Amino acid sequence: MSYSIPIGPYHIALEEPYKIQVECEGENVVGATLKVGFNFRGIEWLAERKNITQCIALLERVCGICSNVHSMCLCMTLERIGKIEVPERGQHIRMVMAELERLHSHLLWAGVAAELIGFETVFMQMFRLRESVMDALEAVSGNRVNYSMNRIGGVNRDIQDDSKVREVVRAIRAVTEGTLIPLLTTDQTVIARCQGVGVLTRKDAIVYGVVGPVARASGIDTDLRRDQPYLAYGKVDFSVPVQTGGDVLARVVVRALEIVESCKIIDQVLDRMPQGPIHTGEIYSVPAGDATVRIEAPRGEVFYYLASNGSDTPARVKVRTPSFANIPSVIAMVRNNTIADVPLIQAALDPCYSCTDR
Amino acid sequence: MTAEETRLEIGGVWTERADGWWLQTSATSVQEIARTMLKAEAHFVAIVALPEPVNAMQLSWHWDIGGTQLSAVSLLAEGVAVPSIVDIYPGADWAERETRDYYAVTFEGRDDTPSLMLRDGDRPGALLRKIGEKL
Repeated sequence: MSYSIPIGPYHIALEEPYKIQVECEGENVVGATLKVGFNFRGIEWLAERKNITQCIALLERVCGICSNVHSMCLCMTLERIGKIEVPERGQHIRMVMAELERLHSHLLWAGVAAELIGFETVFMQMFRLRESVMDALEAVSGNRVNYSMNRIGGVNRDIQDDSKVREVVRAIRAVTEGTLIPLLTTDQTVIARCQGVGVLTRKDAIVYGVVGPVARASGIDTDLRRDQPYLAYGKVDFSVPVQTGGDVLARVVVRALEIVESCKIIDQVLDRMPQGPIHTGEIYSVPAGDATVRIEAPRGEVFYYLASNGSDTPARVKVRTPSFANIPSVIAMVRNNTIADVPLIQAALDPCYSCTDR
Repeated sequence: MTAEETRLEIGGVWTERADGWWLQTSATSVQEIARTMLKAEAHFVAIVALPEPVNAMQLSWHWDIGGTQLSAVSLLAEGVAVPSIVDIYPGADWAERETRDYYAVTFEGRDDTPSLMLRDGDRPGALLRKIGEKL
């Protein structure tokens, strides 16, 4: 028997409005259609009506989790147009913020995924750790979200005392290596629930253009921090975890391994933190020109395009978030799975609908 | 294929910039470019529309091969339709629908182009409207 189930846009299983219409035959999913746009705020339209200093605050609100990535990417685009060199110390502080934000994002996601798998204990542990990352972010920036760290030509605040960051990173690495990764890779309940579920083949991953951990879980060895190093990523040592399964388990494992790599990066950056200024001074406009910048956000590549006409207001700001690239692949992932797997498959994507809609 | 081999296969005059390689081209060749990109397993990144001062639109398609960005850019007269690449890259579906929503660009060769960000019945061209102007 064929039937259609609408899930959303307002649904108890969704933190943000979004709609997936699932076509089923019996319990088997044969197709799906997606509807987004419920969080559309017209941020790109607004950005063309605000000066670049206001735009930093505006773009930081694209996402509630990876807010730092957006203000940083905007500043890096302006810096590329203006040929502005960020001081070494400013670059290193940006890296600490970016990797702390990745820890925050991955731990939050691991908690949500654990809850959907039915592992309440892991959910509680992950959210406890996530809380400590937010404490570290607050210690550095003064804020738990929307950190206001970035400015054109550097950062707004220095790291005077790195002890809180080091303490948090040490604790996260110990729990991830000692508990989380062994559990995700050996526990029969987790494997039974996640293995072979929501498979995205390498071929589908390419044609759908997925990014970040979703791409890496489908065997695509990509990471802009290594492939096109920005800031001081070319000077630190880290691995890019890649899995070939393409299923929920592969996506779970990739993100868990990335938590350890982020901890390694933060430790190295703090060890080699150079002395000197953290920004280049006041900058309120850049010359006419255009540029794109891509950086590796927690959920994958984020793309910014900015056109300047030389005034203090951008002529055009284009934002392509990682969730915008990843969410359409749900159509391929849910096909030939059971209706009961749909929530887990969606969660394994780590989607952000506010980012997507902007 | 590497990014350099892909550029050579596509041909034309590519310009190197700080953010990658850019090719000024006609919009009619975008499908051929997309097919070559797929053969090279290029990752489709985005479509960017930029309104020009006088009745024209600049449209650019962006791909990535091994961290190198390859961008094809085309200048369109107002109201001119461009070929869709959704049959080659299904991942471009949302990018095309969003470009239609924001700048009223028409993509040819699709079965339909439903709104992505706007509500059903809203007029395409949301980013072209002036302050106070309703959708």
